Amino acid sequence: MGAIGPASAHEPLPVRGKLDFDLPAPGSYALPDLGDAADGSVLDEEGASSSLHQLYEDKLIVLSFIFGACHDAKGCPLSLAVLDQLKARCAGDPELANAARLITMSFDPERDTPEVMARFRASFGGEEANWRFLTTASSGELEPILESYDQSIQAEFDEAGKATGQFSHVLRVFLIDREKRVRNIYSSSFLYADMILADLRTLLLEENASAAAPAVESISSVDLFGLVQNPPLGLPPVPVPEANPLTRENIALGRKLFFDRRLSHNGTISCAMCHVPEQGFTSYELETAVGIEGRTVRRNAPTIYNVAYAKRLFHDGREDRLEQQIWGPLLAANEMGNPSVGNLVQRIGGLEDYEGLFQAAFGGRGPGMETLGMALASYQRTLVSGNSPFDRWYFGQEKNALSESAVRGFRLFSGRARCGTCHRVGEADAQLTDHEMHNTGIGYRRAMGDPGDVRVEIAPDSYTVLAEELLAPISETPPGDLGLYEITQQPDDRWKYKTPSLRNVGLTRPYMHDGSLGSLREVVEFYDVGGVPNETLDPVILPLGLREQEISDLVAFLESLTGDNTKMLVDDAMAVEIGDPR
Amino acid sequence: MPVHRLDALVFGLVLASFVAGGTTSAHADETCLSPYMAKIVGQEDFVYVWTLGMEGLGDAQDKLVTVDARPTSPTFGKVIHSLSVGGRNEAHHSGLTDDRRFLWAGGLDTSKIFIFDIASDPAKPKLEKVITDFVAKTGGVVGPHTFYALPGRMLITGLSNNKDHGGRSAQVEYKNDGSYITTHWMPDEDDLQGSVKAGEYADGYGYDTRAQPRLNAMLTSSFTGWLNYMMDFGKMLKDEEAMKRFGKTVVLWDLHTRQPKKIFDVPGAPLEIRWALGANNNYAFTSTALTSKLWLVELDEHGEWSASEVADIGDPSKIPLPVDISISSDDRFLWADTFLDGTAHLFDVTNPREPKEVYSKKIGSQVNMVSQSWDGKRVYFSSSLLANWDKKGEENEQFVKLYLWDGKELKHQWTIDFIKEKLGRAHQMRFGSAALYASPTTEHDVSVALH
Repeated sequence: MGAIGPASAHEPLPVRGKLDFDLPAPGSYALPDLGDAADGSVLDEEGASSSLHQLYEDKLIVLSFIFGACHDAKGCPLSLAVLDQLKARCAGDPELANAARLITMSFDPERDTPEVMARFRASFGGEEANWRFLTTASSGELEPILESYDQSIQAEFDEAGKATGQFSHVLRVFLIDREKRVRNIYSSSFLYADMILADLRTLLLEENASAAAPAVESISSVDLFGLVQNPPLGLPPVPVPEANPLTRENIALGRKLFFDRRLSHNGTISCAMCHVPEQGFTSYELETAVGIEGRTVRRNAPTIYNVAYAKRLFHDGREDRLEQQIWGPLLAANEMGNPSVGNLVQRIGGLEDYEGLFQAAFGGRGPGMETLGMALASYQRTLVSGNSPFDRWYFGQEKNALSESAVRGFRLFSGRARCGTCHRVGEADAQLTDHEMHNTGIGYRRAMGDPGDVRVEIAPDSYTVLAEELLAPISETPPGDLGLYEITQQPDDRWKYKTPSLRNVGLTRPYMHDGSLGSLREVVEFYDVGGVPNETLDPVILPLGLREQEISDLVAFLESLTGDNTKMLVDDAMAVEIGDPR
Repeated sequence: MPVHRLDALVFGLVLASFVAGGTTSAHADETCLSPYMAKIVGQEDFVYVWTLGMEGLGDAQDKLVTVDARPTSPTFGKVIHSLSVGGRNEAHHSGLTDDRRFLWAGGLDTSKIFIFDIASDPAKPKLEKVITDFVAKTGGVVGPHTFYALPGRMLITGLSNNKDHGGRSAQVEYKNDGSYITTHWMPDEDDLQGSVKAGEYADGYGYDTRAQPRLNAMLTSSFTGWLNYMMDFGKMLKDEEAMKRFGKTVVLWDLHTRQPKKIFDVPGAPLEIRWALGANNNYAFTSTALTSKLWLVELDEHGEWSASEVADIGDPSKIPLPVDISISSDDRFLWADTFLDGTAHLFDVTNPREPKEVYSKKIGSQVNMVSQSWDGKRVYFSSSLLANWDKKGEENEQFVKLYLWDGKELKHQWTIDFIKEKLGRAHQMRFGSAALYASPTTEHDVSVALH
């Protein structure tokens, strides 16, 4: 195949065979906006000065680049052949015949003069065809066009260093809409007339469709402030410290901060990445959490539903106020990794989208160690959730609110199974915790037990057992965990952890401070055998001798503790725009 | 933009054909990049190694390391350039634009994308641009993984998302100038997007993406989310909840419309996808990391696509963890690295439905990526998988090694010790050639495939 040019324009063009696939139906897909199609000074076939945009008019444009002397049958000649097919297809379509225009532009202005381009035009349908052949007055006028359309051209040389007159190029063909926006880019290697035709028709259908896309309703947040003023059935009044009264402004600010990944040192982790709203404001994808750069966190992320009532914070109970607690994860090297208070405060102060928000929430005070804690604490205090089936049955006297199994479970819970000793139910409300610290043996087992071989699920319901020696080279040394002892240094406090509230426990798997029990049934079974015996095991934990039905009844009761507003709180949380690095 | 000139002393400029039905050449690692770009079919000049910074080693930052691959050069097999980019971003994969002028390299942790100019001076890449707002622009996609050139743009797979750091993710398109175009979320149970499930699962996870324009087909595979790929490997294997969160699917897409068509069950975390590119070879391979299987995705004579398990890689009961795979240019052989035993396996895949292992060699205490030259004679290996999945202590060897393959065995040429050189964890390797951009006055002994 020789070059396609003035002397050989009559030679047969390479022909594309049948496609090996079914074409997509026009209009069944979207062509994204790839940005503005640049303008540029050009010469038409008569040598008259013009611009690309003038020649685009208000047409749908297929723009290609060639050089007339191209010898590569799979390069310019091929693209001309495909476009020739396209021209014929368009001519046969009444709508496209008028709407579409092909423009082929030379990137060899030295040889491809207007006269040469005129001969191209004559060879490909003449003035009857809606196909223009353009060149430029100089390489100086060409270069900005090539740059705008990101066309990389390399002149070729022979072994003596002499230009061969050929170019190597990554040839692209552009589809441009009436608004002069690029809507697709094709490679000459995979150029199909029918494919471009489908795209042209897709643009036409897009124009015909109503321009009025349905407006997306912005999801407004629920009245979190009001929720705290009137907590759901089963919950006592929400304790709010005098020094940090709740306002709509500080709740809104805390809500924004809670979902902002920029609160971690490298912009990857927000509070909500471990306390995932859809996952019970904890994470059911992990037993124990993972922090910045994937660093190991040794404990399970606790849910923050009803955290407003917590008298101790963290599994080891080392904090007592939410305003202070937040600095634990913010500064921990294995959680959010901030190097200092000042560094984080300064960064937040520099974010445009926080401008004025702290001042509005805290009487003119800007971002600071206190106000950051106050804002985050305020949002978390609003996540109160009650009015569960159990609440409606027990406090609301709705006889049918609980299943018979759950009722039996509650009787066991507060009777023979002794769960209620620690997970307390009061007369007027139920926090389902004693806010105390207990040793169940879970921590003891992890610290003192033999890990042995590990059964690994490698695919759904497919397991293999890995020997310890295979795991050792790929495992860090697991961090120790002694619970309350780490705070008090009292030997009797070894492996004591906070009693969690059981509210919404059906949503907050996996369980225990290390996430080692994956289901409520496993939890009940754990207590049924009396936990793990050890020197400081809590004396209330004794073997229970439960029957199978009783275990099921206890599980049914635990599942009845899910509040009726969790979906609302989750939806509200999911509507927050996540703060990502900009 | 300057008009680049091709070196006068390039020997045997190969005008490769990538036209439907027009090629009998399939692609080795160099050519599995994307069918839309020029290929180096001769001797590569440089190997660009996207390297993870290691805490406590050297400057502890991620960096692009340039290795001299020219056999006649006095610095052959040496590091000739290193460009630190700031921070540890979980450097992972990289990909070239369709004109091969820029190398895009991603960080799976910070979701930053580093765009290097490798055209102005291929021996000294320059950092042209850093995309820092990938997550915000894309609507929440985290962990840019595969960078796959399409005409004038880059297709990028994500591994995770900014809502829960789980595995639900998307494919994203960017223009070559670094501006965002659009996001295509993976089909999942909540929204199959018009696709059909061939089996049981639709997990919405992402990993690799590879296109076969001749068939208007694109395949994506599925790994796991940020929580798992960032976590200590041993900790994760013991975490029963975490182990439930691995990809189980390969998705067939309409390449042109970017619409998912069919979702195949491929349990066990299918990773790299390699299309056979012989004119009549309508199939691709992938391997599953956890179940240690080689899978075949093929189009039959009735126009139906299917996925089937065709071979074990190593001893699956020990989870050898097959990672990178690389198919030879004639579609006859396929390298598969198993990370945990540091072994390279060569399969004869002449019959793609019955691959047979014909050779294996231990490369090091751990091995991840394998990149072979177009002719298959040079095979490069690198060591790092993920910062927290790599082995600890003395077994944490970090290297790039070159072997020559003579059809029977791998013969070691050189090793660059990335710890001794204070560089970090060596991950993905891409080839560079000065002839792609050179002036006629410079001398090179390379061939490139252009069109």
